[in-house]
Amino acid sequence: MTRRPTGKIAAYTGVAALALLAGLALGRPELVAVAAPLAVLVVAGLTGTRDPQLDARVSVDRERALVGDEVTVELALRAATRIERLEVLLVVPPGMDGQDGGPGGSSLAPRRIGGPGGSSLAPRRAGASRAWAVAVTLGAGEERTLAIPLTCRRWGAYWLGDVHLRAHDRFRLFSWERRLEQPVPLKVFPLPETLRTLVRPRQTQVSTGSHVAAQRGDGIEFADLRPFLPGDRPRSINWRATARRGGLMVNQRHPERATEVVLFLDSFQDVRGAAGSTLDQAVAAAASLAAAYLRQRDRVGLVSFGGFVQWLQPGSGQAALYRLLDTLMETQVFATAAWKGIRHLPPRTLPAKALIVALTPLVDERGVAALFDLLARGYDLAVVDISPLTHAGRAGGDWGGLARRLWALERETLRHRYQRLGAAVVEWTDAVHLQQVLLEVEACRRRAGLAPG
Amino acid sequence: MPAPRRARARLACGLAATAVAAALALAPLTRVEGATREALAWLAGAALLLAAGAALRAPSLLAPALLALLAEYTVVLLQGGDRVDAAAPLVAAGLLLYAELCSWAREANPRVHDERRTLATRAIGLAASTLAALALSALILLAAALPAGGGLARLTVGVVAATGIITLVALVARPIATRARR
Repeated sequence: MTRRPTGKIAAYTGVAALALLAGLALGRPELVAVAAPLAVLVVAGLTGTRDPQLDARVSVDRERALVGDEVTVELALRAATRIERLEVLLVVPPGMDGQDGGPGGSSLAPRRIGGPGGSSLAPRRAGASRAWAVAVTLGAGEERTLAIPLTCRRWGAYWLGDVHLRAHDRFRLFSWERRLEQPVPLKVFPLPETLRTLVRPRQTQVSTGSHVAAQRGDGIEFADLRPFLPGDRPRSINWRATARRGGLMVNQRHPERATEVVLFLDSFQDVRGAAGSTLDQAVAAAASLAAAYLRQRDRVGLVSFGGFVQWLQPGSGQAALYRLLDTLMETQVFATAAWKGIRHLPPRTLPAKALIVALTPLVDERGVAALFDLLARGYDLAVVDISPLTHAGRAGGDWGGLARRLWALERETLRHRYQRLGAAVVEWTDAVHLQQVLLEVEACRRRAGLAPG
Repeated sequence: MPAPRRARARLACGLAATAVAAALALAPLTRVEGATREALAWLAGAALLLAAGAALRAPSLLAPALLALLAEYTVVLLQGGDRVDAAAPLVAAGLLLYAELCSWAREANPRVHDERRTLATRAIGLAASTLAALALSALILLAAALPAGGGLARLTVGVVAATGIITLVALVARPIATRARR
């Protein structure tokens, strides 16, 4: 710990010295009597103060949580020597918060697991982050665990454990400071929304899944009748049709196949408002879509197209979901000059016959150009246009209103251009549920003849 | 405890310190008269301003505030003649109490909540140090009143005390911020 003298030492010593000298010079014992307590206090502080021996450890009760969950950061303190006053300050990253306090903020009090007495914490604003701070007294050999409950307000990958400690001696002549560097990871996932209907891909893969393929083969859904051929299984014979037509007829069926879905996340720009941001919406939607597609045995991949390109090859199962969510948590707006001119996605990032669901605010021209490029390359593309207008807020004055209307018109024109090229585009405003948007996308694709059935 | 209440705690400490300083600054005015009183009133006003500033706003004013209060008391002492002032222990205890309350006000950060045990320890420590200051000053005055073999012995004690305090100043002046072993 770094030891620092407080301003009290200089003040007390200076005043005591002057008073003693004045007492000596003027021959007044009263001045000596007045100065003596200050001098004695400084001498006692200088001779009796030792560096505090403190051991501190930070832990979090879990590694993964959902938005809205409460996690508990535990700070275990152990003092080998008595510490008169120990200030403990935990920096809470933006996106995490303490519990909403009731009257008097009583619910802000942390539970104490060990040691006598109780303590409470309170938040403070420190730029973007907040901090929880408490001052405790520790006896020699005393162990204390402070439990600090935090509520996860926003998805993301967090590092908790940025703790600052400041100890004071009995006379408050010195303070010792130390910063704990024990980062503990915590991943906060967005709450998955229940989606009953998803955007169906135009083409299916060869592997078995839940989608009725346009091809004919072994399956459940009836497709057509055809005359019996050598090699056909007897159980495929449709006896009623055979009786009507006078020759052996067999049923043809549509096989159930899996599809590959790639979630395209445009993270070039994030339009942030009071209620949230376009990137928050996009990540939450991507997580919900990934979980829903994986539930129906599809293979899901991810392309995060922003300051740099991150992609995950399509995979299936629970492992793929966790891999995908972990990648989603690292999504952020990342400005870099290296990828300034990027317009195209690397070809290997997107498998053939895959449905690409783009979640984009259509704000950055690189993201817009990349979608045009995908359409030109013949991909099956569905665009969910996350409206930045709701997050941008109302502009004041006539010019502000005019600019807003022009922006809305420009965005509408862009959507029409995509639609003319064969993509289904639906604007997602804040008030609409994702399920409703997906139904609109599906209807749009059906009108354009893109969706099966 | 919510932040506003903790801010009030800081204000309370600051106001208490100012009240002690006001007592220290205004009490000597009752012991002088005439032109000296007028001059001392100005000094008391300045001391009170400095003291309030140190307690409520700028902790760096603590040393000037203490010096101003001490200067005012010295003037009263000199005006009083050779008679030993029996109120000196009260002044000593008052000065220490004021300084410690200032220190507490600075420490009572609205962002940090002190648990009850820490507050109690601090309050007990403050009371104990004030009482100790009172006792120590009284003892020194009593010792000063004792016949100690004439002026030479008293002068020797004074020189030793002055040397000691200069040594202390030199000790404090050297850099004492260290990085201790982890």
